[in-house]
Amino acid sequence: MKRIAVILAALLCTGTLFAQRDSAARTVAIEQVEIAGVRPMKEIGVQRTVLDSAILRENISSSLADALSAGSTLFIKSYGRATLSTASFRGTAPSHTQVTWNGMKVNSPMLGQVDFSLIPSYFVDRAAIYHGASSVGITGGGLGGAITLATKEPDREGFSLRYIQGIGSFTTFDEFLQVSYRGRHWSSSTRLLASTSENDFRYRNYDSKQFTTNADGEIVGSYYPLVRNRNGAFRDLHLLQELYYTSDRGDRFSLAAWYLDTDRGLALLSSDRNTTREKRNTQAERTLRAVLSWDRLFGGVKVGARAGYTYDDLRYRMESDPDGAGDFIPVTDARSRIHTLFARAEAEYAPNERWLFAANVSAHQHRVHSGDLSVIDATTGRRADTLYRQERFELSAFASVKWRPVPRMGVAADLRWELYGDRTTPLIPALFVDWLLSRRGSVVLKASAARNYRYPTLNDLYFQPGGNPDLDPERGWTWDAGVESSLKSRRSALRLSATLFDSRIDDWILWIATAKKGVYTPINIRRVHSYGAEGKITASTSTASGWHFAADGNLAWTRSINRGDKFSEADESVGRQLVYIPVWSGALTARVAWRHWVLSYKWQWYSERFTMSNNDLGALGRVPAYVMNDLALEKSLEFRRLTLSLKGCIYNLFNEEYQSVLGRPMPRLNASFFICLTPKFRNP
Amino acid sequence: MKHGIRNLFGSLVLLGLGACMEYGPQPEEAFDIRSRGVFITCEGNFMWDNASLSFYDPVTRQVENTVFLRANGMKLGDVAQSMTLHDGKGYVVVNNSGVIYVVDPATFRVTGLIEEVVSPRYLLFVDEQTAYVSDLYDPRITVIDPRTNRIRSRIDMNGHRSTEQMVLAGERVYVNCWSYDNKILVIDTRTERLVDSLTVGWQPNSLVMDRHGKLWTATDGRDGEAPALWRIDPATLEIERRFELPADRPPSKLTLDEQNDRLYFIARDVWRMPTDAESLPAEPFLPYTGTLYYGLGVDPDTGEVYVADAVDYVQNGVVYRFSDTGQPLDTLRVGVIPGSFCFKRP
Repeated sequence: MKRIAVILAALLCTGTLFAQRDSAARTVAIEQVEIAGVRPMKEIGVQRTVLDSAILRENISSSLADALSAGSTLFIKSYGRATLSTASFRGTAPSHTQVTWNGMKVNSPMLGQVDFSLIPSYFVDRAAIYHGASSVGITGGGLGGAITLATKEPDREGFSLRYIQGIGSFTTFDEFLQVSYRGRHWSSSTRLLASTSENDFRYRNYDSKQFTTNADGEIVGSYYPLVRNRNGAFRDLHLLQELYYTSDRGDRFSLAAWYLDTDRGLALLSSDRNTTREKRNTQAERTLRAVLSWDRLFGGVKVGARAGYTYDDLRYRMESDPDGAGDFIPVTDARSRIHTLFARAEAEYAPNERWLFAANVSAHQHRVHSGDLSVIDATTGRRADTLYRQERFELSAFASVKWRPVPRMGVAADLRWELYGDRTTPLIPALFVDWLLSRRGSVVLKASAARNYRYPTLNDLYFQPGGNPDLDPERGWTWDAGVESSLKSRRSALRLSATLFDSRIDDWILWIATAKKGVYTPINIRRVHSYGAEGKITASTSTASGWHFAADGNLAWTRSINRGDKFSEADESVGRQLVYIPVWSGALTARVAWRHWVLSYKWQWYSERFTMSNNDLGALGRVPAYVMNDLALEKSLEFRRLTLSLKGCIYNLFNEEYQSVLGRPMPRLNASFFICLTPKFRNP
Repeated sequence: MKHGIRNLFGSLVLLGLGACMEYGPQPEEAFDIRSRGVFITCEGNFMWDNASLSFYDPVTRQVENTVFLRANGMKLGDVAQSMTLHDGKGYVVVNNSGVIYVVDPATFRVTGLIEEVVSPRYLLFVDEQTAYVSDLYDPRITVIDPRTNRIRSRIDMNGHRSTEQMVLAGERVYVNCWSYDNKILVIDTRTERLVDSLTVGWQPNSLVMDRHGKLWTATDGRDGEAPALWRIDPATLEIERRFELPADRPPSKLTLDEQNDRLYFIARDVWRMPTDAESLPAEPFLPYTGTLYYGLGVDPDTGEVYVADAVDYVQNGVVYRFSDTGQPLDTLRVGVIPGSFCFKRP
């Protein structure tokens, strides 16, 4: 505990440091602070991180994985652009981070996780991260936390249009077009993003050597070859259409429909000695998500309803051709089709400034058809029985009461109940409290605690072979406590927060081998204790001469420890950090703007990650720590009918050789150039 | 406090310059281990690129782990499936890396490579000029010339994709077809053609030949069909005996002792039975103790038994060494998912 206290103190000191650095000349101004806004009732005790719009709008080539890496304490496990990117929140598994888009769940009902590389950050207008217990207000099962993503009505009245083109290293092209209109009643926004890349970056392969031979074919030498990333080409297409209507009576309707179509190569491992003529892995995905919503205020009551639909067609193929003659045969052809219907009703009632009552109910109906089409039963000559078809109804009911008895203090209680198929989770309670410690500096203490449950995914229950229909939900118990402060003066703003958290997850679902060769099955076995500290700083200041400085940084210390029983006497994983969870992670994005110039710098750090549960320190047991530095310079040119913006980005500024995941070298120094055209329409 | 802040700031600047990056060349280590011993191939996790090779000397009781990586300054690859020793050379089959590394068994250094095999599983020497490679996905056996390590030809398996272990008897090679299959195939080594087949139970996972010249296979079984051990007359391809086991105890990892007359296998416990037995033994050789045994080997010189425990499949596995009477002799920690044993005899 003492150690945690020291780390909390360090985080606060870090915050102080940045405050001094970014506003050194404005000490006097910071002294004359005012309380930054009124604390909303909805946020009593809630640990929430809102992703800065500058991070979301960094580049059209950025995915939400990039934005989360830079703007939050989540660890994103990824091995480059357009590759599976999953989140670990406070040391938990990817399926413990629940994600909603305009209120509808995005997590795959089959896998439980979200691939954040498939969400372009330019398609998200608002992104908020709810840490630990705070996720209960969003959905159940967020043992690590929850992320809400939303689109919103265009800000600008009348017509607006923006076109951005990007050209980058490794034959990468990005095209983005947004056309929007905002009127008194009607608004519309259309976004289109197309990205293609050969993604064939060069790297020195330290995992597999090239051998030189003599005339007799004997090996006489070896070296680490300079090779290209193989089979990593991708093509992504996204289309998002939104419509908004606001009636004179105050009804607000919206429709958001997002279609994505991707075709991605999955790069070969660095030690793979097959060539792309002999082996290829591809993943194709087509997804449609659509949400229709309505809400309205009736005095102190706000009511709303949503309906939605998701269609997801995912196909993973591995093909081989040992002769390299272009005659590929499928080795794996795993295909999944998921239909999901969604409905939600919600109401909030605030009788006065002291009380807020909220309730909502969400329902998802999934229909899944999944299996490997390549597997032929040699005894019958027909397709093998690896397919499963399942339907599942999920219901999540929520009620909340928030009370602020005195202006300095707020307390809140959430209660959630979930049903999946013919089973239910126990009640999910969460309690929140906050206390305004000091008006000067707006120092608020926050604490929250929750019991939470995550029920098994459809693959956990029904995957063929190996699914286990008798699985129980994973059980979580979490608390956190923290302090945050918001300072604001005429030209400067500073927001600091530091949080300690502690979670215990029991009955963690783990896939383990069975007595039958090659068959794995999930069981409720693991107990995990994760605890740590998170710190965040957001600062901005501007000078009378037109300079503007802004910084957004975060730091996390995460211990995620296996506290389960030993598998056998030989088990050395108990008491060790879980695999691929860094103990330390940090990021800082700093921007300097002057007139029409913007210079931004992005720094990111992950400490080493273990790849073995016993935390072996050998070359196969860990991925070394790495630091990444990116630099971007942007210049806007104003014309009478057009704003033209040019932006150059350098990634991996120091040309580092590194891996983020074992066997997956990352690109070295590379660059992109973007040109953005924004016509100026004569709007009324 | 001021010093602390300055130090922290200094550390951040260092981090910013990327001072802690350590990805790069691996050091090479010189080995020269000529003693007898056992190689243990550690599969590693599929797509994690963490396969490894261990070597254990039972006399000194010393184990050397990741010897391939340490000797060659490069990784072994993804899923080390099996290893074969022949004529003073070791052949390490790395399934998902599409390669068979030829190594010196004393220095562990690479002396050759066999490539253009997409998903190799096992290697069998037919004679000094010919070796067969089975494959998980290619419905062909690849024929290698071990003098050049080049592919000489491929033998069509009539659509049977998952060929596994191979046994040579006279001029015939027998191979079990495991994944979603139920066949033992027969190859004529003179014509290099598939000439015959035998239907056994669902998913035959192992194949060995005892001192009486009988073939043994173990099948996984499925709904409506019990897992079983099968004794087969290879000459007539007749099934002589079929020993059924409970559905939750499929037999696997068939291994013969030094005389080739006692059969070991894993079926939850580790079992041993004479090859002329007419029934399954009543008591296991090593009872199940909460550990799912993953690999099995019998020293051809001493009859000592090696049993692998993959623990949770994400950590360094463990190998237990027993005398041929089942007395524990040693415990060694090796790489991730130890799967097969290959005994080196001087």
